[in-house]
Amino acid sequence: MGWGSSDRQDPALSGNGRVLASVVRRDGRDTVLLQEQPSGKLLPLRHLGRLQPHSSPSLSWNGRYLALLVQRGPERQAVIEDRATGRLHRLPLPGSPVPESLSLAADGRRIAIATEGEGRSRVQLYDLTALLEPDLPAGLPVTGAGTEDARP
Amino acid sequence: MTRRGSGLTMALLSLLPPLLGGCLAPLPQPLVGLNQRLEAAGPARAPSLAGDWLALIVSKDGRDRVQLVDLRRQRPVPLPGLERPDAQPLSVAVDARGERLALVRQLEGRTELVLYRRSLMALQPVPLQPPGVPRRVALRADGRELAVEVSRQGQWQVDLIAVP
Repeated sequence: MGWGSSDRQDPALSGNGRVLASVVRRDGRDTVLLQEQPSGKLLPLRHLGRLQPHSSPSLSWNGRYLALLVQRGPERQAVIEDRATGRLHRLPLPGSPVPESLSLAADGRRIAIATEGEGRSRVQLYDLTALLEPDLPAGLPVTGAGTEDARP
Repeated sequence: MTRRGSGLTMALLSLLPPLLGGCLAPLPQPLVGLNQRLEAAGPARAPSLAGDWLALIVSKDGRDRVQLVDLRRQRPVPLPGLERPDAQPLSVAVDARGERLALVRQLEGRTELVLYRRSLMALQPVPLQPPGVPRRVALRADGRELAVEVSRQGQWQVDLIAVP
């Protein structure tokens, strides 16, 4: 899939395949893109504009939730944008290890986060049921507040 | 209490809900039992979570291996036919039934994308067209399509491949 002549990395698909997330270099910064499939139409994101570099996107079943790693000041943080409500959920990790990658369960109930800290890489699981409504296969697809066309 | 004092008290009280809301915002809860088991298995990276299944790459005895954990039973399941001692796994993804795993691995000097079906214990190569070097792979939760990051002539691209 083309994005001009830019590199495109770190792909993730929603559980139903209707949304693709990937990371491209945009204005010199690694930025996550959400696109409807198969049209390629860009979907808007509300909160992530100043939090680059982005990495490790992961989507729920209908693409309602986008989990990813962002940069907030000196810190690498895991966050989840809820595209239905526009909320941004921050996921503080006990002991402040450095997150390296993550994977959101398609139903939004759990997340796995890989971290580096104290000279060791580890994967930890977290329950999100107190934060997120489930995003289940029977749910209606989420549509954003508006769309912008993909630039060639 | 004077009317002025009462007004100040009311103003302070009106600030409490947002302050308490900020303090009491729900946090992700570590799954302590599972995390202890993962910790005991050794250094781990590259998780893929779907349904009740967690695939990841675990370092053990100086070698990286793919591990698939059944989260309901809180234990790894065997993956016969997937592992080779001379293969180096780079990226793994699992579907929500724990049936299909997509894997990028280095083997005999090549980097390849393969698909594993657990019920069949069968591994099949996934060809890239045009040819390229795969790195990270993701699988749709329903297992019907995979997305893979591929290097071609010095540029990273994303291929979407339907899974038969």
